[in-house]
Amino acid sequence: MSLIKICVDGEFYEVQEGSLLIDLLIKIQAKVPYFCYHEALGADGNCRMCMVEIEGQKRPQIACDTPVKNGMVVHSQGEKLPIQKIRKDILELELINHPVDCPVCDQAGECSLQDYYMEYGLHNSQMYGLQKVTHKKHIDLGSNVMLDQERCVLCARCTRFTDKITHTHELGIVGRGDKAHISTMPNKKLTNPYAMNVVDLCPVGALTSKDFRFSQRVWFLESIESVCMSCAKNCSIYIDHNKLKYQDEKIYRFRPRKNLEVNGFFICDEGRLSYKNLLENPAKNTFSENAKEVFHHSIAKANKIAVLIDASLFNEEIEMILNFCKKINAQAYCPEHLYIDPSFEDDFLRSKYKVANIKTIQKFRIKNDMPKSFDLLLNFNHPASLDLQSPNIISFQTHNSDLQTLLTLPIATYVQNSGSVTNIDGITQYVPKALFSNDPTPTLKEWFKRLCL
Amino acid sequence: MKDVKLVSKRFHLLNSHTLEVAKANGVYGDALKKAYDLESVEIIQIIKESGLRGKGGGGALAGEKWLLMPQESERENFLVVNCDESEPGTFKDRQIISKDPHLLIEGILITCRAIKAKHAYIYIRGEYKTFQDILQGAVDEAYEDGLLDSCDITIHRGAGAYICGEKSALLESMEGKRGHPRLKPKQKECEWFFDHPTLVNNVETIASIPHILQHGAEAYRSYGTTQSPGSLLFAMSGHVNKRGVYEAEFGTSMWEYIQHFGGGIKNGKKLKAVIPGGASTEVLNAGEVLNAKLDYESMKEMGSALGTGAMIVMDEDTNMVEALKNLLEFYHEESCGQCTPCREGTGWSNKLLAKILSGKGSIQDIDKLLEISDTMNGKTICVFAPALSSVINSFIGKFRDEFEAYNQPSAKGIQ
Repeated sequence: MSLIKICVDGEFYEVQEGSLLIDLLIKIQAKVPYFCYHEALGADGNCRMCMVEIEGQKRPQIACDTPVKNGMVVHSQGEKLPIQKIRKDILELELINHPVDCPVCDQAGECSLQDYYMEYGLHNSQMYGLQKVTHKKHIDLGSNVMLDQERCVLCARCTRFTDKITHTHELGIVGRGDKAHISTMPNKKLTNPYAMNVVDLCPVGALTSKDFRFSQRVWFLESIESVCMSCAKNCSIYIDHNKLKYQDEKIYRFRPRKNLEVNGFFICDEGRLSYKNLLENPAKNTFSENAKEVFHHSIAKANKIAVLIDASLFNEEIEMILNFCKKINAQAYCPEHLYIDPSFEDDFLRSKYKVANIKTIQKFRIKNDMPKSFDLLLNFNHPASLDLQSPNIISFQTHNSDLQTLLTLPIATYVQNSGSVTNIDGITQYVPKALFSNDPTPTLKEWFKRLCL
Repeated sequence: MKDVKLVSKRFHLLNSHTLEVAKANGVYGDALKKAYDLESVEIIQIIKESGLRGKGGGGALAGEKWLLMPQESERENFLVVNCDESEPGTFKDRQIISKDPHLLIEGILITCRAIKAKHAYIYIRGEYKTFQDILQGAVDEAYEDGLLDSCDITIHRGAGAYICGEKSALLESMEGKRGHPRLKPKQKECEWFFDHPTLVNNVETIASIPHILQHGAEAYRSYGTTQSPGSLLFAMSGHVNKRGVYEAEFGTSMWEYIQHFGGGIKNGKKLKAVIPGGASTEVLNAGEVLNAKLDYESMKEMGSALGTGAMIVMDEDTNMVEALKNLLEFYHEESCGQCTPCREGTGWSNKLLAKILSGKGSIQDIDKLLEISDTMNGKTICVFAPALSSVINSFIGKFRDEFEAYNQPSAKGIQ
């Protein structure tokens, strides 16, 4: 495939021959509305919204089903053809049977139908005296997905997702004409580990997340780019969060972020819901007053020091701990068996290592077994510490546990911290700090500074 | 009027659907023998020279379509015969499969030889159970007789969707999916059935093949016009004395046809309008019918289309608003719902017309109907919505006063 030249709205662009026109229009941010097209799912051509004018064609053409050709001249807003009016008219047809219940719809604020209405529509209702087609309003599809058939524009993104991406085929379109609606087979549920992606795919409020709906209006949320640390895949995500007055920061949802190198367009449901336990039950600071004294005293007293390093720490933190180990002549351990869950692994995104940074642990050849004998154990958030029956433990941990220690020092979770992680395929991503708490928990780096290590 | 019987020549025979009668009257004879003597490309050449046009409604040149089939293909070629005859007013294919099914089978054998296919499917409309049984009987007879030793025929029954008569929706349906038309390919190519090169032709097209092979392209061209050679099984329904299917050559005058075969308008009434080629073509008023000639080019010139050649005749007492309502109900029911303009437009236009009929409408509603029709035209995946669009435009364009009469105060019950 070679590069060719095409002209869009008077500007020339070089694109791959045979690539889809809509991809270019999206890339150059030309105003082209669309419901059914999605990069991951390809063209389906059913919504008919992405009509553009192409010189030499007497009829408007849908950009999603037009491969670019050399010398093609495109007018995205129309020159001879009334493209704006055509979009407005087709949008009107999408809306005639739509319930227009935006005030109670959870999608409001991130709804394509709403956006395009403001952009092209602004119609007055023509449905006076006519009965709208009615469908079912709240169907629990399973896997936290709720369906409102009336809001649906039948773009078939969700059915194509279950057909082409998960190959589980739970969703289908039933009925003809304006009676067509999305449904599962009778008495069957949406059951696949990636099901909640259909909520993100749905351009309107037909599919909403049971976990997120009614909890927050989307325009009150801030999104920050981050990484899901539930498994070693490190899928790119957005963390949607906000801080209400006098309250601490709260995460409302994780959403997948497009990253073709890592996760493509999607994340698994378990990763998506992993925000829930993140800020629950934070570790309590038990000896904060004399922490430094206890810490240094314990180290000075011990002959043989073992260090447990958790594979969910950032690359920088792991390096810092290893340097510290050298300094105090301690042996570092990271037993892997607690992280591995072969049943979790699949051939799409999920990795059997249910921890983010195992690659870095393996890179530094940190010992993959449990420390046997020691005078003092320094635990850096490793779950294996719970299996150790020893009074001589100093533990840095993100969450509260039953571990009996000399000293427990609370550390920030990864959303309250920043650093980089390397996934199982060796791709390193930087994770910026997402939450700024009113009473921030120190990060590991801050503890090292406080303890003068 | 010239008597033409190229496809319907055995329709009148007693037990014409049996192999015995068919064989005694020339089926599986010279035409088939000639086909086996010829090379594939030679058969296609004859069909191309005959100018045979697809008889399912579109009128595309059959020979050109056959040439799109790869002669050397790694994957097996298929023939699919479209017998999903659901166009309102159209009932010609069922005559062939019930009265001369062996003619169709002979046509299939010749076509399969031409396109190097070893398996043909007949996609039959689900409601045609009776006719399917006759056809299946004929196929069974042909198998027993060894006629189908080198070429299989499978009858595939549809589930009752009009849109499955659209060739790509038909193939989707045969693949076990929803009957949704496919996006059109960017260049001319054959159809694909499970990614195999496939030719889709109408029943009557295939049934016309044996005659052309037997008598040659020139003999076929001696009927009809230069651009629309041959004949078609024209059908007539509605307000005529003798409704039915009668074969006539292309170029026949529509009015003469109605007089000759139909015995004129029922009860001696006057003609008001004719929908010329199944429901999906523009309606013609009485004046236009007198000038209309039954071939693709003449009908196109009149701003309509020949379609399937099935005329729905309406007399002077017909209420055109109610007639359009009848059609809109059909289109509303049958829209597959895949793309937006058709899914929503068919329902909305049906509701608007109901509003007009109830006397609650206004001039704005008639104009809105035209506006919806415009939105449905040329913006969809298949030609279902554009066809409906042209129906609405022609009904309102030619009989607007009848629509407006419903908005008069008297129609609304106001004195």
